[in-house]
Amino acid sequence: MSSQTKDITRKENVVQAIIVADTFGDEFVPISDTIPHALLPVLNKPLIDYTLEFLSLGGIEETFLFCSNHVNLIKEHINKSIKNVEGWTLTMKVNIIISESCHSFGDCLRDLDAKGLLRGDFVLLEPGIISNVQLLSLLKKHGETTKFDKYASMTMILQEAGIGHIGRCPEEEIIIATNEQNRILFHKKMGKTKERKLEFPLDIFLENSEISLLHNLKDTHIAICSPSVLPLFSDNFDFQTKDDFIKGLLMNEEILEGTLYCHVLKGSQYGGAITNWRMYQALSYELQNKWIHPLSSPRKRNRLMKNSVIIGENTKIPESAHIERSVLGENVTVGQNTRVEHSFIFSDCKIADDVIISHSIIGPHCVLNEKSRITAGSILGQDTVIEKNLFVENTLVQSTKPDDFEEGDKLGAKSYRLRISGEEDDDLIVSSLSCKMSKMHIQEDNCESEDEIEGFSDSEEEELSYTHSPPPDDTKLFFTEVIDSLTRGFEDNLLCDNLILEINSSRYAYNVTVKEVNFNVIKAILTMSLRQPTGVQYFSHLSRLLSYFAPVLRNYIRNENAMVDSLQAIEDVATSNEDLKDKWVMFVLQYLYDKDYITEEVILSWFKTLESKSNFHSQVKPFTDWLEAAEEASSSEEESD
Amino acid sequence: MHDKENLSDVSKLVSDIKHKNILSSLDIALRSEDLLKELISQGQWKSARELMNLVKIRIQYIKENLPHEATAANVMRHVLKVIREEYECESKRKVEGQSLHQLVTAHPADVLDYSESLINLKTSLIDHLTEYKVELESSGENIAAQASEHIHMDEIILTVGKSDTVEKFLKSAAKVRAFKVVVVEAAPLYYGHKMAVSLAKSNIQTTVISDAAVFAMMSRVNKVIIGTHTVLANGGLRAASGIHAVALAAKHYSVPVMVLSHMYKFTPLYVGSHNQEAFNICASPANVIPYSAGKILNSIQVFNPVFDYVPPELVTLLISHQGGNAPSYVYRLLSELYHQDDYDI
Repeated sequence: MSSQTKDITRKENVVQAIIVADTFGDEFVPISDTIPHALLPVLNKPLIDYTLEFLSLGGIEETFLFCSNHVNLIKEHINKSIKNVEGWTLTMKVNIIISESCHSFGDCLRDLDAKGLLRGDFVLLEPGIISNVQLLSLLKKHGETTKFDKYASMTMILQEAGIGHIGRCPEEEIIIATNEQNRILFHKKMGKTKERKLEFPLDIFLENSEISLLHNLKDTHIAICSPSVLPLFSDNFDFQTKDDFIKGLLMNEEILEGTLYCHVLKGSQYGGAITNWRMYQALSYELQNKWIHPLSSPRKRNRLMKNSVIIGENTKIPESAHIERSVLGENVTVGQNTRVEHSFIFSDCKIADDVIISHSIIGPHCVLNEKSRITAGSILGQDTVIEKNLFVENTLVQSTKPDDFEEGDKLGAKSYRLRISGEEDDDLIVSSLSCKMSKMHIQEDNCESEDEIEGFSDSEEEELSYTHSPPPDDTKLFFTEVIDSLTRGFEDNLLCDNLILEINSSRYAYNVTVKEVNFNVIKAILTMSLRQPTGVQYFSHLSRLLSYFAPVLRNYIRNENAMVDSLQAIEDVATSNEDLKDKWVMFVLQYLYDKDYITEEVILSWFKTLESKSNFHSQVKPFTDWLEAAEEASSSEEESD
Repeated sequence: MHDKENLSDVSKLVSDIKHKNILSSLDIALRSEDLLKELISQGQWKSARELMNLVKIRIQYIKENLPHEATAANVMRHVLKVIREEYECESKRKVEGQSLHQLVTAHPADVLDYSESLINLKTSLIDHLTEYKVELESSGENIAAQASEHIHMDEIILTVGKSDTVEKFLKSAAKVRAFKVVVVEAAPLYYGHKMAVSLAKSNIQTTVISDAAVFAMMSRVNKVIIGTHTVLANGGLRAASGIHAVALAAKHYSVPVMVLSHMYKFTPLYVGSHNQEAFNICASPANVIPYSAGKILNSIQVFNPVFDYVPPELVTLLISHQGGNAPSYVYRLLSELYHQDDYDI
């Protein structure tokens, strides 16, 4: 090893790259317990092979691969590739750096800084990158940037990607502001925040003649760094991730003496990172669809079947099995009448007859017995055995007993339900749903419903992002106006009479009908209620909100028509927000009924118009049942009197 | 392990092609030729058979790693034929013009097994390869020299995209004749634009048209002159995508289609468009529909094939440095270039 390093230092101007091989997170549990992230099979080829081939084709001559988990497996794999003279070994040297004491991305970089292996600009890769970017030209561009800005420390590589595309991870949505030199002045990760509004610092508009606000980008997780990046990580030991670094640099630009730039990829250059299962799925599809040409699935090992199915060696599919848009590993046995849709099955699995698998990931060496069903974002760890007729939906399953084992988690002798920490909070419903969405990109229609949740509240932001957005609808504008007025009123404790006046004036400004006014005002109030913190206190918050707006409600719900309008508003809000608490509809109806805003007859006649099979119908039913029961009771009381 | 080490030369070639360090087919041909010369002069072989095995292993390696790369394998295949000939020549067993009678009555022991070690084989092979290299290098000029035979005064020539050979050919003709060139831009890569700029710089009257305008334009065109990626064994072409449509339009208007091709592009392979998997490469769809198109990409699958199969009946003439030949004559050229036993390696 020492002779190797000597050899390296002698050669000047070697183009270097760093790959951090671990995610340091629990996104890939339980599969990541046995397979390191770097060796995750993507179309039956280990992920790291794609990354290394990309670096080699991109013109990198020396790579430092930083691992801290499953070190031996990765080392073995790299040595095997070198022995087999894989394509990248000819033009690139790979040094594996092992440090089991590192617990974050930042730790790794601090460790590298201490080792002093890097000279000059280098390419920094976060885990799981598959790309076809030509790195040399980007390094050159970064070099030019450093010429006029000696503090330029990092060029982030971003790619244009449309909203709603599977390659755009909702957790990684970003908004950036740049000046005409592509310098990043503002960077915000939208994904995890629930904020509905964005604040841009005024300075950036005052100090620059031209600003671009960009939301049409996705992060490729590739960055070109100046040598100053590593010392910056060392000096600021609280930087754990690249995001911390970006945030810290933008906040304390003068003190840290570092600036950020970005480069937007266009054309056939593609970059993406497998950061969670959803991106795993997206990148698998994109590899299949040749977006990352010339990188492709290994033709030797794979066979391509109809319905976009890829199967590995020694895997046989019986005639009666229906398989669609899936990837099956090597030595998988598939039983008769099995259905597999949009799923990934790793090598050596045994699937018995009549099994249904959809939108799930089955780890290696799993056994699925007859008539079991694995659906909706389930992930099975290595060696799991699923019993006969078992139905698994949206669950993580592993073969060994988890530490926080609870009663009811046991699904079979070799299958235990795994709980992800954080899921047991108060907001269980919300987080489990978002968890589900992050695991797999399930279906077009599901995704759309998710869009609708964010839909109206993000409308300002959307107008920024969509370049070809349709002309705004007056009624929709009116609605956002009403929501704004009401929110402000509620926060500043304004008089409701003034709010009514304000709403009425917007009504004339946007020329909306009385019916629409009633509908939208109620909808606005109800939508506001959704923004309340969820938890035990939720309903008390809700009733406080509703009682605050009592004058508004009374003003608009005047006659029976208005009552019907408001009921429709409830329906609209309830059906477009799937993560509502079950009792929300009941509570709202009960409240409006108790306070005499809506009469019993209107509710009952409205209830009859509802589609009897819908989810919403079943939510309202208990309430109307209660109404009818109460009526009967009171009438029978009268009779007995 | 021993085998792999021996292959370092060819894996370097493959990696250079993959890394796009060598781009044009001529460079690939020259590199392959150099590689073999190195192998012959430095390699560990004692008899012609051993040498042929070494070359065959390399051809297989290229086929496995670059299934669509024909040039390097063809050059090596040709060298195999050269080795056989030199061996026969050296061992003085070669009978000029074997008659059918001799073939039938030949004793099995007379069949050459190339196992003898001959002293002069190495030097004569190297001499022959040096000649071959000169032939490769001058091939482009030789093709261009025939330009004035094919292009006449005031003709309108249509070409597609960019081809170095076609460019040289047209420029050579422009020295003696005045004619017009229509360049089809060849979406989605639009190499036609570069071609047009280059031609216009040499004072050739050039018009660029879009791919859709080919049919409308064809009635005025006198000749279609194109380059190709490979010439297949049946005389068909594996050419840049879009050329099939051009050839069909030419057929409709009975316009002759001339294909300029170096000898190393003739491949003893029969592949047709029915087997797209083996025949074609799909490049990134980004040139067809940008990645930023968004949601629509979730529900569609976009193909951006690189090649078109042009059936032999649409090709009028194949022009190599030896002169023009009809596609039906390709089988004969192939048997001159390669030995029967080396067609399928």
